[in-house]
Amino acid sequence: MSWMRIRELVRKEFIILFRDEKNRRVLIVAPIVQILLFGYVVNYDIKDIRVAVMDQARTSESRSLIKTIAGNKTFSITSYPEDPSGLEQLLLKGKVDIGIKIAPDMTSRIRKGRTAEIQILADGSMSNMASIRIAYTVMVLDTFNQNMIKEIKGQSLDYGHIDARIRAWYNPNMDSKNFFVPAIVAFVVMLLSLLLTSIAVIREKETGTLEQLIVTPLKPIEMIMGKTIPYIVISLVQMILVTILAKFWFDVPIAGSLPLLFLATCLFLMSTLGVGLFISTVSSTQQQAMMTTFFFILPFFMLSGFVFPIANMPVVVQWFSYLNPLRFFLVILRGIFLKGVGIHVLWPQFLALTILGTVLFAGAISRFQKRLD
Amino acid sequence: MNPRKINAVMRKEFIHLIRDPRSLILAFIIPLSLILLFGYALSLDVDNVETVVVDYDHTAMSRDLIEHLDASIYFQIKAYARNANEVGEYLDHGSATLGIIIPPGFARKIKSDKGSPIQVLMDGSDPNFSNMARGYVNAFVAGYNNKLLLSFLNRNGLERINPPVEGRIRVWFNEDLESRKFIIPGLIAVIIMIAGAMLTSLVIAREYENGTMETIKSLPLSALELLVGKSVPYFFIALTNVFISVLLGQLLFGVVMKASFWLMIFGSSLYIFVALALGLLISTVTKSQLMANQGAILLTYLPSLMLSNFVFPITNMPSVLQLFTYIVPATYYIDILSGIYLKDLTFTQLWGDFAVLSLMFIVLAALNMRLLKKEGL
Repeated sequence: MSWMRIRELVRKEFIILFRDEKNRRVLIVAPIVQILLFGYVVNYDIKDIRVAVMDQARTSESRSLIKTIAGNKTFSITSYPEDPSGLEQLLLKGKVDIGIKIAPDMTSRIRKGRTAEIQILADGSMSNMASIRIAYTVMVLDTFNQNMIKEIKGQSLDYGHIDARIRAWYNPNMDSKNFFVPAIVAFVVMLLSLLLTSIAVIREKETGTLEQLIVTPLKPIEMIMGKTIPYIVISLVQMILVTILAKFWFDVPIAGSLPLLFLATCLFLMSTLGVGLFISTVSSTQQQAMMTTFFFILPFFMLSGFVFPIANMPVVVQWFSYLNPLRFFLVILRGIFLKGVGIHVLWPQFLALTILGTVLFAGAISRFQKRLD
Repeated sequence: MNPRKINAVMRKEFIHLIRDPRSLILAFIIPLSLILLFGYALSLDVDNVETVVVDYDHTAMSRDLIEHLDASIYFQIKAYARNANEVGEYLDHGSATLGIIIPPGFARKIKSDKGSPIQVLMDGSDPNFSNMARGYVNAFVAGYNNKLLLSFLNRNGLERINPPVEGRIRVWFNEDLESRKFIIPGLIAVIIMIAGAMLTSLVIAREYENGTMETIKSLPLSALELLVGKSVPYFFIALTNVFISVLLGQLLFGVVMKASFWLMIFGSSLYIFVALALGLLISTVTKSQLMANQGAILLTYLPSLMLSNFVFPITNMPSVLQLFTYIVPATYYIDILSGIYLKDLTFTQLWGDFAVLSLMFIVLAALNMRLLKKEGL
């Protein structure tokens, strides 16, 4: 193995990659766009539930109900439609999430000591958001009930009640971005290393220069090193860039050890570079390589616990996810960023990444060498 | 515009596609696997939260609370732990996601008309889950307190009283609150971008890379003819994918359209036009397949996934990003899809979305033609 030959090949790869200004731009812009998108968009925090109230009673009781709703910071009453069709239109157009209809007989029923029905119309299209909005609406009605009863009784009531002290582990502020931003490190690294490695080889095939490379004294292993080292470097630089953005732009805490993060990224890169090299051996055009890459990325991405919790998946799919290096890398990333745990907790994930990485990389190398011989 | 010339470009593009059967097959397999994945494996719904309970109080009152928990639609009691440490173990292993700890003296405090805390521990690592679980806990507690208040009033000889108001909940559009009912339609928007824009983003860049663009320029071929001819094969690939998605959604997952099928096909065709125009424009601008592919992922795939109201509600985004969603074609297409699939809307209610998509198509196509003409086509 000659380091000089590898070095020259690495230099050539860098020249090809950075020669074009557009390439340089994409390499910098892509991870920034991705981190901004994921950091800001993937957000399940419940705030500003948009409510339309149709008050047909127009009494002090109904106004007090409206005040209770408006006083809750989770809700914002955006409109007061006059008639049912107005309310319906608001829901159909997606202008409000919840419609509340107060019937004309509300006050008379309450004064008679009976229960008045409040109609709640919920836009269920996004079912997960809808369930939670309904739960909050029910809660507001209960708050109103308690105030009302106290008011009717006209005395201060100290009754025995329960008081939930909720503590969320692992992410105490229940911040969406703390959960998603660390994962972007994985996404950026995967997307680039997988695609760029395979394209680097395919381009030689397409332009016919692969034949020329084969007749040079370059050994297959040197060629593999030359083709992967540039992308290892770029991926690590991207990883650092994203980590800096995560820390200083998104204020995501990094509770754990940075060298460990570095090690995990290198292990993960073994898997992605292995898959990238594998794709390059089974594809002959860039189009094929890109489509195949995308075909690999999708299940990696979807079945990793990135957005969709693995625990919710059918058991068979959960087994499959054990073959997914991204799954383990995400646990490590979130563990290091959020929980600050070290190797004594994360060793199973490190072990899994090492095994998957070794198998994938070694497999790809042997296939690659056979192809070249 | 000469149909024979368009036909020739189209034939060449078809041959190119058929010569590379794997890419062609993947253009159908990727959408198919997305539908199957989302339909079978991925869900955002949280119900029957697996709960582990510690009862330090062991009174009739604490048991009543536990019974109410188990009976509520939100929680399902998975196990009883002996102490708080055990709850931690359940959370660490992920075998339960919520722990409720009833402290000693719970019943005594409530009977002496004081507040009693209950401790709720949850796995906060997944925000979708923890937000919903927190809402559920709060809703449950508010409801249970109401019950306690009423029994307090009744016990203290105050006159019997009913709760003043009661919510009568009706869910519209997605009556059973199933996430696949909105995910499967929304997925079609992502699929079209993958099958349409990502493939077409390569077609002009490929000509540049292979040096055949010069040949094309020397032909008596106008920019419009080139673009139309290049996009026809991909239009059919994308449209076939729409049919497959609709069919699978209906047959496998029971996701059925409420409004007109043909309106959906009309909207889809329009959106495919926009996707193809966007893909071709990226191709013309980048002139390199690798950059075109990265550009297509950044400008078509990611926005249609993230900035379109697909699974991430636009109203939750910061206002600057909300402005961005207005220029994402998928936003309008997903509005059409949810109108047709869930809300039973007609063209008169959706024409605005159709108009915006048409406008986007015209602008993108015109821009591309100008660029190609500048190149000398």
